Amino acid sequence: MLFVRGVLAGAMILLGIVILVRMLAVVPAGGFAVVPGVVLGVAMIALGVHRLKLIARVRGMQ
Amino acid sequence: MSTSSNAPKPELRRSVTPWGSFSWGYSDVGADIFVGLGLVLAWAAGASNVAFLFAGVVYVCIGLAYTELAATYPVAGGGQYFVMRGLGDIFGFIAGWAVLLDFTIDVTLFAWTSVDYTSQLAPALVNSVHPWLHFIVVLGLVMGLCLLNVVGVRESTAFNGVVSALDVISETCILCFGFLFAFRPQLLIHTMQMHWPSPYELMLGTSLAIISFVGLESISQAAQETQRPASIIPRTSVALILTILIFALAYSNLALGLQPWHPITDSAGHPMQFWQIFPQNADNQGKAVALLAAQVPYYGAFAALYVPVLGAVLLLISSNSGVFGSSRIAYAMSSSNLLPSLFQRVNRAYRTPAISIVFFSAIALIELVFAAAPALFPGVSSLYARFFHGENGLEFLADLYAFGAATSYSFVFLGLIGLRMMDPLSPRKFKIPFNIPMRFRGERVDFPVVAVFGFIGIFSILLFTLRTHALGRIFGPTWLILGLIAYLFYRRHRRLPLLRSQKHDWRNEQTEILRRAGELELMDEYLSNLRASDERRAAGRS
Repeated sequence: MLFVRGVLAGAMILLGIVILVRMLAVVPAGGFAVVPGVVLGVAMIALGVHRLKLIARVRGMQ
Repeated sequence: MSTSSNAPKPELRRSVTPWGSFSWGYSDVGADIFVGLGLVLAWAAGASNVAFLFAGVVYVCIGLAYTELAATYPVAGGGQYFVMRGLGDIFGFIAGWAVLLDFTIDVTLFAWTSVDYTSQLAPALVNSVHPWLHFIVVLGLVMGLCLLNVVGVRESTAFNGVVSALDVISETCILCFGFLFAFRPQLLIHTMQMHWPSPYELMLGTSLAIISFVGLESISQAAQETQRPASIIPRTSVALILTILIFALAYSNLALGLQPWHPITDSAGHPMQFWQIFPQNADNQGKAVALLAAQVPYYGAFAALYVPVLGAVLLLISSNSGVFGSSRIAYAMSSSNLLPSLFQRVNRAYRTPAISIVFFSAIALIELVFAAAPALFPGVSSLYARFFHGENGLEFLADLYAFGAATSYSFVFLGLIGLRMMDPLSPRKFKIPFNIPMRFRGERVDFPVVAVFGFIGIFSILLFTLRTHALGRIFGPTWLILGLIAYLFYRRHRRLPLLRSQKHDWRNEQTEILRRAGELELMDEYLSNLRASDERRAAGRS
């Protein structure tokens, strides 16, 4: 179960990075319109890191 | 059914585990995007992601407030209990009554959209094609869930856990494939610039977006049945808040910037963007996630088969959370003399509040009749068209859902501020960040800045709801007024203060709450804080 959670967290971080990079690439054309996408990318990375930290803590306790 | 007077009073059993606590919340709030996405895309169009972002920021504030309050006061009352302790009995009643409206709507709304998702695979269930069949199936689901909840919470929790896990995996897969293979940032920017809605539509879309974030109440509802709540609730809530925020933002951004796998055309054969299918056809609004999943390259072929089923099951669980939540709120309100003791009775065999469950399920059925009436009876349809902008059944339910949520959350923020000021001695294992330290009535208190911003945000959404929802601004306040009249009659009958609060011994009550929750370290800390405070006061007097 921990492995599956780890994979999901990793996927979330990677996807967050992809979205962030792609949204930042259209900043000159989009301006304000990129904000929701950038927030999404940052939130995905934050959630992935949060989950990985929790998994590391659980593994440390085992 | 009822208990004898000399027997020990049965209590709700503590059977909800950490994953159970997460899945109760997830199954409720996680399912909201299945309902909210189509409605928001239909109204907010190119600004749907902005509507979700605004509502999402408010939701994060709400989530943090609930996390702090539920961990500090782990009782089954949720919002109404916090408001009652922070502001007084009558405000606690209003907040609780608004939440009860939300949970009864939740039962009907999610059973309704569960059938809508099923209709993706079984077209006979499409509401506009066979409204009577749609109505009868929803009716059967609500009655079935009522029975399930009378039998007990343990079975429901296990079921929730499995479906929630499947849904998190499924949604992650849909978003991965969608963003990697079908998302075009340039298309998103183009859509936002070319299809920006009018201010009225944006307000309406934003007030509908908040319904995608309703359900954290479930965690605090389950607090009285969660093991070690002060430790578990903050852990599950933070993960839940971020997960839900991400799914809502991701779906709305993806929907606006999606290059469909299969070309989409209107009736005249002109190509359309994906999001445009929602304003064009109301039947699509109730199954948005299934339609989006089917347009994701590669994975969509598989997703088109199972997402309608998974969505239908998740929505059914959310509907179940509504039955669970309403009965627990009524149980808690009854314990606090805000509702008659009838709602406090726990079934001896199943240890569930059976009377509350049946009563609020019946209200959910009445709401279903109001929502289904325009489709079932042409005469009612013309009445709705004349007086209520011709709102359909789904919009009727969404109106009331948004009203109830915005009202109760507004009071919860005020309750949080009140409790920080009036009860600074209760140990808070989780505290919302960004506070202003100050002294109040001789005690050091932390004034919560986030709660002020959250209140401004949710109150503005309440104003948007009243401004833009033709049915919500009539039925919502009517529900509150009728409830208040009944409350005043009940309090008069019991010879309790009508507008003021009855006397509460919060110190003993808080000690007992922490003892029952198994939070003995926090209980010791609380007693130590009380002793130190009393000594300071005595020293001050002498």
